[in-house]
Amino acid sequence: MKIKTAIAGLICLLILTSGLFAQNKDENISPQRKQAIDSLALEKVRDLSKYISIIGDKATPWSEAQRVIERAVELFMENSEIGVSSLSRPDVAYYKVREYFDRLMKLNYDKVNIEWYKIQYVSDLERQPDGTYVGVITIYQRFQGFDKEKGLIYEDTTKKDITVYVKRKETQIGGRLIGFWDVLLGDIRVKETSK
Amino acid sequence: MNTFPDNLAAFLINMKNSFLVALLFIQVIAFPQSKNGGLNTYMGDESMFYAQTKQVNQFFRRFNAEEDVKGKRTYNGDSIFRDLKSRKKYLNILFDNSGSVSTTDRDEFIERVTDKKSPVFLDFHGNDWFSEVAASFIYKHERVDIILYLKLEKQNGGFKWVFSNVYFSRFNDLFSHVGDTTNLKLFLHPLSHEVDFMNIHKVFEDPERMDYFLDRYYRPDQLSLFVSELKNGNLKFESVKGVKFHFLQVPGWYFEVSYFNRNSNNSGWLISNMIKINPKDKKELIRNYIHED
Repeated sequence: MKIKTAIAGLICLLILTSGLFAQNKDENISPQRKQAIDSLALEKVRDLSKYISIIGDKATPWSEAQRVIERAVELFMENSEIGVSSLSRPDVAYYKVREYFDRLMKLNYDKVNIEWYKIQYVSDLERQPDGTYVGVITIYQRFQGFDKEKGLIYEDTTKKDITVYVKRKETQIGGRLIGFWDVLLGDIRVKETSK
Repeated sequence: MNTFPDNLAAFLINMKNSFLVALLFIQVIAFPQSKNGGLNTYMGDESMFYAQTKQVNQFFRRFNAEEDVKGKRTYNGDSIFRDLKSRKKYLNILFDNSGSVSTTDRDEFIERVTDKKSPVFLDFHGNDWFSEVAASFIYKHERVDIILYLKLEKQNGGFKWVFSNVYFSRFNDLFSHVGDTTNLKLFLHPLSHEVDFMNIHKVFEDPERMDYFLDRYYRPDQLSLFVSELKNGNLKFESVKGVKFHFLQVPGWYFEVSYFNRNSNNSGWLISNMIKINPKDKKELIRNYIHED
């Protein structure tokens, strides 16, 4: 059932984007295309935020967390990193995406509460020398760590600047070549905001 | 004193509330929340994040009035695109309000860039702006700070950041005697060539004094030294410590943009320094900022 839904979703996406981008052979991205790409990118970011909440949730069984980590890693370009700094440690600590999720899963709290602010900011898309496009989406996360006896022992709000890579690809459906935009997440800069 | 315009702040908050209602409505239809939650699960106050200039990209957009109050990009043809009234409001919130720029300079600058006959807009792909990255490295087993200067370069229809220069005080110390005209002892005499420069070995006996023997007008290229030390394994990157941007795109003005991480509407990427300059000063200023003597 899930697979059928996913395939139907993919076909819808391809039709939607191919309609929008059918004439696309030029280098510029029109505002309409940009909006469609932004939606795709925000969908990935939404998936990521959902996965982070599940991985960080202490009620999530280990095997389920592992499965979700796999799904989360698939959202990213290979070799993507997460650079983390805090108010007390301004130097950036770099983690590979999988390592970051593993650490999140193993955080030493009895209960973790991860919530997301509603605000999000999507940058322009800039063309890179290799012809692909790059953008940055900013979101904010609120984290709380609880101890059974002491209650809330840690909380922070972090700004997450997420790199988004956008590439034009083509696929054959029913003998027809259909173009679409593929969106993958890249490096993420995580910065603790002032308390 | 917080000079964030009250009417704009109120407008942002009002817009935020109506925007939230609309956003929540859209979300319920399009993005049903899972039990574990995705984006948009926190109902706390976030007006500060709306006001904050969250990305350098947003600094450009606000400077040029190319976004609406919700942060949505506007384009040529949209009624509020580069709207003069909006620009004046946006420009006011793009300054650090802790006193780094005088009110007189700020007002004069805003007048200049919003001049009806010749307004000035920032151009992301244009020249005359560059980035300054403060980074820490390990240099011969010791932690040191090095400043990296980067600029945007066009290639194959796209853009990339490239290193244009670096500044490392240790490199500077190596050339402390360049241009010295007071020393009357350390030189190769003018007939050295007649003896096949057989005396040249004296130059190399004390490497510390080598720079006395260089062309008076020679200016060391720190970037070459930097690359050389990296390739020789003497320099290893550790971390980025801070980023700033220097802008010279507005005729007659220089300004610096830095990130202010603070619990205030006046936060994010803001103008942290501003100097009125003439064309002659411009070259001098660039030289000073990128530490070219």
